Amino acid sequence: MRWTTRAGVHIDRAASAWLIRKFIDPDAEFDFVEGPENVDDTAIPFDMRGVEFGHHGDDCTFETLLRRHDLMNPVLWRIAAIVHEADLEDGRYDAPEAAGLDVVLRGLSMVCPDEVVIELTSPVFDGLYEYFKRSLLLGTEPA
Amino acid sequence: MLLIYQVPREPSTPRIAIWRRLRRLGVASLADGLVALPEDARTREQLEWVADEVEAAGGSSILWRAQTLSVSDERRVAGRMAVARAEEYERIIGAAQAALAGEISDQARHLRRLRRELREVRRRDFFPPKERQGAQAAVEALADSAHAYADAKAAR
Repeated sequence: MRWTTRAGVHIDRAASAWLIRKFIDPDAEFDFVEGPENVDDTAIPFDMRGVEFGHHGDDCTFETLLRRHDLMNPVLWRIAAIVHEADLEDGRYDAPEAAGLDVVLRGLSMVCPDEVVIELTSPVFDGLYEYFKRSLLLGTEPA
Repeated sequence: MLLIYQVPREPSTPRIAIWRRLRRLGVASLADGLVALPEDARTREQLEWVADEVEAAGGSSILWRAQTLSVSDERRVAGRMAVARAEEYERIIGAAQAALAGEISDQARHLRRLRRELREVRRRDFFPPKERQGAQAAVEALADSAHAYADAKAAR
C-alpha cells in the first residue's frame, strides 16, 4: 500500500514509517504531502490532522498504530515511550533517550529530504529494537 | 499563530488536559479561549494536535496565521511571553540557590530535577529574557557543588 504523511518528517513520522514497513505492511511505500487535503483515496494517511492513524488522546501516532494493530510487543512499546517523549515531551514516560534522538532527527531533517530521512533512520530503529529486545531478555542493559 | 478554541465546561478532564498542553507549549493567553504562539514547524504541528484534541473533546477550534497591525502590539505579546518565562527562570534560580545552601547530599537529586525543568522552560522560550542566563548559571553552580561532593565522597 501507499502511505501518505506530512512533509517535514520528524521522529513520530520516521518511527511510524519504520513500524509500518517492519510490522504492518512490508510493501509499504511512502509519500509526503502538504496536508490531509492532498491525500488521494488510494493511500493511507498517517500522522496528520483528523485521520485514524494520528494523535489520539495522549497517544502519538506511533502509539496509535500499535494500538490499532494490536501490537502488544513490549519492545515496540519501549520504543513508543521514546517516540512519545521526543514528540510530546509531557513527562509521561521515563525515556532519557528521547532528548538525544530528537536532536538527531531534527538535524537530519535539516540536511536530508524526507525520503532520505526515512531510509537513514530505518537501521537506527532496527538497532534500537535489537538493543531493547536484548535488554528485555537479559533483564539488564546489554553491553 | 492564533488558536481560537472552545471546550465544554464539563467534563473537566479533557479541558484541563488541553490547557496543560497549551501551557507546556508556552502560549501567550490573549483572552478566554484565545492563545498565540510564534510559528515554526514544531509549534505549528503541536498546535494542530491541540486543535484536534479540542474537537475530540466536543469543542471547536480554528487555527489562524495572524499578524498584528502595529509592531508595538506584537512587541507587547512577545513581552508578555518573555515575562512569563522570566518568572519560571526566577523560580529555578530560587530553587537552585536554596539547594546550594541546603543539605549537600541532596544536591544531586535537586540538580536532576532543575536541569529537567530548565530544559522544559528553554523549549518554550521564544523571546529569551535576561533571567535565562541567570537560571543557567544557578543550575551550573549547583552542578559544580554536587560534583565536588561526589568526587570527595569517592576519594574517601
